[in-house]
Amino acid sequence: MELNFTLNGVPISCSLPRGSELLLDVLRGPLEQTGTKEGCGKGECGACTILVEGRMVNACLTLAAEVEGCEVTTIEGLAAGGSELAAEQRAFVEQGGIQCGFCSPGMIMSVRALLDRDPDPPEAEIRRALAGNLCRCTGYSQIVEAVRRAAELRREEAR
Amino acid sequence: MSSYHRPPSVAEALRLKRELPGSSFIAGGTDLLVQMKDRVRQPTALISIRHLSELTRIETDGGARLGAATPLSDLADDSALMTGWPILGEALRDFASVQIRGSATIGGNLCNGSPAADAAPALIVLGARVRIAGLDGERLLPVEQLFEAPGRTRVREEELLVSIELDPPLPSGHGVFLKKMRTAMDVSLASIASLALLRDGRLEEIRLAAGSVAPVPMRLHETEKVLRDRPLTPERIAEARRVARDEVRPITDIRAGADYRRHIVGVFVQRALEATLEKGDR
Repeated sequence: MELNFTLNGVPISCSLPRGSELLLDVLRGPLEQTGTKEGCGKGECGACTILVEGRMVNACLTLAAEVEGCEVTTIEGLAAGGSELAAEQRAFVEQGGIQCGFCSPGMIMSVRALLDRDPDPPEAEIRRALAGNLCRCTGYSQIVEAVRRAAELRREEAR
Repeated sequence: MSSYHRPPSVAEALRLKRELPGSSFIAGGTDLLVQMKDRVRQPTALISIRHLSELTRIETDGGARLGAATPLSDLADDSALMTGWPILGEALRDFASVQIRGSATIGGNLCNGSPAADAAPALIVLGARVRIAGLDGERLLPVEQLFEAPGRTRVREEELLVSIELDPPLPSGHGVFLKKMRTAMDVSLASIASLALLRDGRLEEIRLAAGSVAPVPMRLHETEKVLRDRPLTPERIAEARRVARDEVRPITDIRAGADYRRHIVGVFVQRALEATLEKGDR
């Protein structure tokens, strides 16, 4: 079957030979968008978090066919206009919210969704929002700091 | 390897299900796709129902009707539902993760038949029913009777759970409580839901249900028996705690031992009853 959706603002048409392909496999395979990572493959680690219609989903547990007609955003599409990093990405770099970096794309997508919903979330809310994104390196403290910083940067940008 | 189908209506979905032997309905997919990866289930075809508007509506008009394919986060975001039946909000709190709650559906959570289904004890004490559609028509079944065994419900192969139906919110004076021991992403170790009406110091109405402590989410009938129509006293609460401990049938697994789960059930029952006492007479 034929799948049509919008990926990071670009209209995409691709074929799904079986019909039941996972969105993560289609993104990383034929569409060559490897920023989205596969960790556990079972919806537990959140490394594959992307936004579908602005909503956080695990791409490893989403059938590609289900995003027909939808707006999909991945880490590749986070920074407006290409090369520059988005506020969330800059904050993670500044605050050391990354070590090995494998969880970062999914983590940062969750932060985008969180800050779109609540521009100044308290710490408990930050931790709750990131419960589905596991990091084995940082111990999360720097990540929470990075989210606070990202919120600041976004508010500055909005001014 | 499964083919994918997106029928335009429930009627069409049911027809497809009959036409495609070995097929499975799929809604949020957060349990089914994991089972497929683990090769626990290998459906020949996937019949997607998450786009059907008749299955994703939340209607609150006196009672409530929750479309079975409504994502859990949509339920939690529905203010009329959360105001009228706050115990559902408690049940959904800290359920898995934001990602999972946005995809996983209320009907899927029930149909998956997990002994730990977080919503089940709350729905049981609320007296909720599920509406099940088949090619020959629909039937209603109390949630309390839905579960048969771990991973198995009374929804038959060619049927589809289409909605969950709730009676109007309880008149004031009823105390409704939910306690669960879980952290996000993990599975609940034990959970208790209770609904109580205290009048003149006596428990006129009491419903207790537990999750994660038996092969299926269960109603605690024995515990209710020692409480119903009797004065609610600290001694009675202590007795209920003992009966509840003995009534549940937990297993030992990697998350907790059976003894510990029994202990927790007793403690939760005690806390629910103490909260009822504290709230006082209507």
